[in-house]
Amino acid sequence: MKPENEAELAQMVANANAALQVVGGGSRRIGLPQDCDHLNTSLLSGITLYEPGALTLVAQAGTSVSEIEKALESEGQRLAFEPADHRALMQTKGMPTIGGIVATNTSGPRRISVGACRDFLLGVRFVDGMGRVLKNGGRVMKNVTGYDLVKLMAGSYGTLGVLSEVSLKVLPIAERAATVTIAGLTDVQAVRVMSAALGSPYDVTGAAHSQVGDSAQALTMLRLEGFEGSVTYRAQKLRELLAPFGSLDIVTDDTKVQAMWRRVRDVEGFAAKTGNVWKISVKPSDAPELVARLGADEVMYDWGGGLIWALAPTEIDLRAVMAGTAGHATLVRGEGFAKFHPEPAAVAALSAGIRQKFDPRGFLNPGLMG
Amino acid sequence: MQTNFTEDQLKDPAIQRANDILRACVHCGFCTATCPTYQILGDELDSPRGRIYLIKDMLENERVPDEKTVMHIDRCLSCLACMTTCPSGVHYMHLIDHAREYIEQNYKRPMGERFLRWMLARILPHPMRFRLALLGAKIGRPFAFLLPDARLRAMLEMAPKHIPPVSRNDDPQSFPAQIAPRMRVALMTGCAQKALNTDINDATIRLLTRLGCEVVVAQGAGCCGALTHHMGKVSESDASAMGNIRAWCTEMDGEGLDAIVINTSGCGTTVKDYGHRFRGETYAKDAARVADIAMDVSEVLMKLEMPQGSDQRLTVAYHAACSLQHGQQIKTFPKDLLRRAGFRVVEPADSHLCCGSAGTYNLMQPVISKQLKARKVSTIEAKNPDVIAAGNIGCMMQIGSGTDIPIVHTVELLDWASGGPKPPALTGDTGARVPQVPILR
Amino acid sequence: MQMPIPNPSVLANKHRIVRRLSAVLPKGSVLDDLMETRAYECDALTAYRCAPLAVVLPASTKEVAAVLRICFEEGVPVIPRGSGTSLAGGALPTADSVVLGVAKMNDVIEVDYENRFIRVQSGRTNLSVSGAVEADGFFYAPDPSSQLACAIAGNIAMNSGGAHCLKYGVTTNNLLGVTMVMMDGEIVEFGGAHLDAGGLDLLGIICGSEGQLGVVTEATLRILRKPEGARPVLIGFDDNEVAGACVSEIIKAGVLPVAIEFMDRPCIRATEAFAGAGYPDCEALLIIEVEGSPQEIDAQLARITEIARAHNPVELRESKSDEESARIWLGRKSAFGAMGQINDYMCLDGTIPVSQLPLVLRRISEMSAEYGLDVGNVFHAGDGNMHPLILFDANKPGDLEKCEAFGADILRLCVEVGGCLTGEHGVGIEKRDLMIDQYAPDDLNIQMAVKDVFDPKWLLNPAKVFPLASSETRRSV
Repeated sequence: MKPENEAELAQMVANANAALQVVGGGSRRIGLPQDCDHLNTSLLSGITLYEPGALTLVAQAGTSVSEIEKALESEGQRLAFEPADHRALMQTKGMPTIGGIVATNTSGPRRISVGACRDFLLGVRFVDGMGRVLKNGGRVMKNVTGYDLVKLMAGSYGTLGVLSEVSLKVLPIAERAATVTIAGLTDVQAVRVMSAALGSPYDVTGAAHSQVGDSAQALTMLRLEGFEGSVTYRAQKLRELLAPFGSLDIVTDDTKVQAMWRRVRDVEGFAAKTGNVWKISVKPSDAPELVARLGADEVMYDWGGGLIWALAPTEIDLRAVMAGTAGHATLVRGEGFAKFHPEPAAVAALSAGIRQKFDPRGFLNPGLMG
Repeated sequence: MQTNFTEDQLKDPAIQRANDILRACVHCGFCTATCPTYQILGDELDSPRGRIYLIKDMLENERVPDEKTVMHIDRCLSCLACMTTCPSGVHYMHLIDHAREYIEQNYKRPMGERFLRWMLARILPHPMRFRLALLGAKIGRPFAFLLPDARLRAMLEMAPKHIPPVSRNDDPQSFPAQIAPRMRVALMTGCAQKALNTDINDATIRLLTRLGCEVVVAQGAGCCGALTHHMGKVSESDASAMGNIRAWCTEMDGEGLDAIVINTSGCGTTVKDYGHRFRGETYAKDAARVADIAMDVSEVLMKLEMPQGSDQRLTVAYHAACSLQHGQQIKTFPKDLLRRAGFRVVEPADSHLCCGSAGTYNLMQPVISKQLKARKVSTIEAKNPDVIAAGNIGCMMQIGSGTDIPIVHTVELLDWASGGPKPPALTGDTGARVPQVPILR
Repeated sequence: MQMPIPNPSVLANKHRIVRRLSAVLPKGSVLDDLMETRAYECDALTAYRCAPLAVVLPASTKEVAAVLRICFEEGVPVIPRGSGTSLAGGALPTADSVVLGVAKMNDVIEVDYENRFIRVQSGRTNLSVSGAVEADGFFYAPDPSSQLACAIAGNIAMNSGGAHCLKYGVTTNNLLGVTMVMMDGEIVEFGGAHLDAGGLDLLGIICGSEGQLGVVTEATLRILRKPEGARPVLIGFDDNEVAGACVSEIIKAGVLPVAIEFMDRPCIRATEAFAGAGYPDCEALLIIEVEGSPQEIDAQLARITEIARAHNPVELRESKSDEESARIWLGRKSAFGAMGQINDYMCLDGTIPVSQLPLVLRRISEMSAEYGLDVGNVFHAGDGNMHPLILFDANKPGDLEKCEAFGADILRLCVEVGGCLTGEHGVGIEKRDLMIDQYAPDDLNIQMAVKDVFDPKWLLNPAKVFPLASSETRRSV
């Protein structure tokens, strides 16, 4: 099913008499693959409104991320939360859509400094499980009129409703970017370095730590963005601040800097490798110790250590290993385990209650989120 | 804020004033944030906004005050931090004073309470009586446990161990300037302060004469009336105030005065408000003349341009007395003067919060007062000072009773730095001493 | 303002309810004498008032749980209250309700610089959260105008913003986790020191739910390192439209100030009379603040002043010192107090798309003439969050009603041009009945359905946010 407009989408959901799998561009495989009808929103496409002077953009949910990025770039702006392109990682084709990004609350390395996708989402229009067209939020940056269903819809993986339109806050593209790197740190040292950098006044907009290529050489990366003079100044300041941890290199070549962070954002390092891919969110200082006992083949730290990408053998249940550490693990690629981390009973009951209100018949991506 | 006074009620100038104050309040609640009692008790009724509500209700309905209303009004320190905070310029001081007067007239306190207040009003403003009481307390302290009222026990505990002899410098007289005269000022020698500590007035006289002031202690001047005023005892309070106004006006009309110097900031707040208090009365003009030239000693010293001192190698924690920082809005002068004299000055966290002394508050509300003292002492001690300086005797007694760090009046340090003797609190000599003053007539 | 009829059985059982509450709380933590409860009859919105059945002041999460369990069993509505600084009447009680104040709960529980968070009890004031980490160079970013007094509990309930949210976001963007007590007394943790939700973002919906889903007793908040410096520039214009165009161009030029504040002539004049900050007497005044390294500040200010000069400002004053910065901000910070000197005021906070600014200001001034009430505008121009202050005389019969009607017209206008009723104050009681102007019945229904899940008996702050007619069947369950 491929509705061409919101009314048609509503009609299709209302008329459905069995479960539906909600699909955007198909690049992320939202929803469990099962023998049910696919509801594809890719025809609900197009930018509805873009006001660069107000930093706002409204687009239909099926609009491709690339179309939006192109429009923004022409005005020197961008989606600051850095939506990832996980096609290579997921071994999928198709076009990432803005609806898919929102539904999965996908954010890249800059999340640690500017916030997640949900923090940039100003408003949504969606069709709930009964086929009702609903809206929440709007197109203005500050809005506390009623409950914030906007946040609830971000990351709800299509289980509460099918997004038809989203409005987003956008930000200017920084004039310059540079990466400050330190090689050869242990995980514990790396998290300390990233914490020190993120806790400094030098406005670090990315902090990641990973293995590079076959040399298994650890590389810790810190990103600085802004006006040229300011980036140079802050890079120097970081060099002074972090001197006790080792010698720092500064990468200023724009193409190289872009490539480095795209690699982190899209988890390119895991794309060609087999195994389950997990995304673990913990308190950064807990990360190295957790990684040490995970039994993963390879890991990459983003968000200053608060996000661990782990490539693990298919039989390992990372969540069992995590017991006792606050946080959660999402199975991004692979089978054999629930996609989402089990929630404490009280929270799970509330989530189930909300799903029941939004989708009383249980037709939208059933079973995906518990 | 909406008010509900009748036309008739508004004919009373005091009610008209209360109405004006209440109308300015927008009930925003900012005042709660800096109110010491709200910090401790967390009840709206123990915040300025809550008290304003209680007072409004009491005055509008001409209600006989009930026990609970009185309790919450009594708990107010009158520190006036709320007035510093208020974005709308609500004159809380006049409102709470009005309420206290109303309560005093319309509420019958329990017997013990009435006796306590009567006693304090009879003793504190009179230095001789107070000195006798202090001596009595010294003797009576071992028997404190026999007293039925916690407050009476608190009073005994509060009494200092050393009581200085009477200083003849506080008698009416004139001290000539040491250099070419620049100003002629009257020193308010106060009441309770001179019974507790004679060093402050001595240091003030030395410092001012050294800087070119002729310092007069006016015949007939005494207590400012604040202690009784805050108990709502208007007639006693007014009598004290009028005595002062007469005494200083005589000097002003005689050889003239450039300033009335006050070194107890609690008194300063009160004297500066004489003009308002006696507005519309026979004394109005004279009261306003006095209020106009009343100055805290730090204000006068700023005018006199203290010489720059060399590094004293001493860290001074400056404690801002509420009556100085909130009541008179004098915030930087004492610190500027201390720095100029060569001291390193630090300030405790939450410097806007009261130490719990607040006139007779430490005697009437010992529980809350002790908590505030503990907070203040811990924030001061966190700064590791060599000495604490304050501009109000009440704060000095209060804080001094909770810490081993010596505490002095700001003028004692300034006097020392500019050629006077080292403050006794710093020499360890807190016993009876013969006061040193340049010239005695 | 219409309020539900108090539940007669709750009123009849007052003694029992108070006795039960007193049994689980320390002495002095339950107030039920009208003399005392009256001080809790309203928050900073004094136009509507009603003393509650009782007030409770618990000092711990456990005490909150005990209170809520009793109220749940007795069917008593509960009105959560932080510092009572709401301008929307978020803490307005009903006669049959228990006000649950969290002011006694103001401790810092944990400070963690390595992971950049602080955990506090919810009664702690916004500014004192920053105060707890200030000496170490950190701060908590959301800064509502009432930050000195307002509690984190209220900030979370209303998803409060502030002057600097153009860069740092509002409460929801800085909230990592909460401990919340459900209406039946169950204590539940949401979020934590880690980022993002593992399932549905329930924290996202708790923030801004106006105390209707549970009582937040502890919060984990993101703290940030203070920037190296900040500097404002003051720009005066003779024309609102030009000022609006200037803001838009600055943003388009890729400069991201931390704050862009706008004041109109009536506000400038009132402020000058009250605070004397030395503002020029002009039609529109912008205060634009930038932050960062010295280089960053210089570069941003250079671009801003270049753009501003192209718009023929009547005054352009770049701060060169801390004193000058304080002076530039003085007037803006005194604006509410200054307007309060003139008369009583009602403060609205509708948000509009920035492009609609000139139109909206023109319409407001026309309406001001129609209603015969003066209005001054202070405005977070970077994000379109307006603060029209309508002046009225609370002691003059009929004036409040006129003011309310004027306010409603302004807010409807905000919605009409693509904005919303409230940008940071919350709906509370004040904008409750206007919700139908922004949302269709189904939109409101799905929001109320969320409350059904968290608070099936509709006991938490039940008469707020949703028009009484919309919530009636739910409330009468």
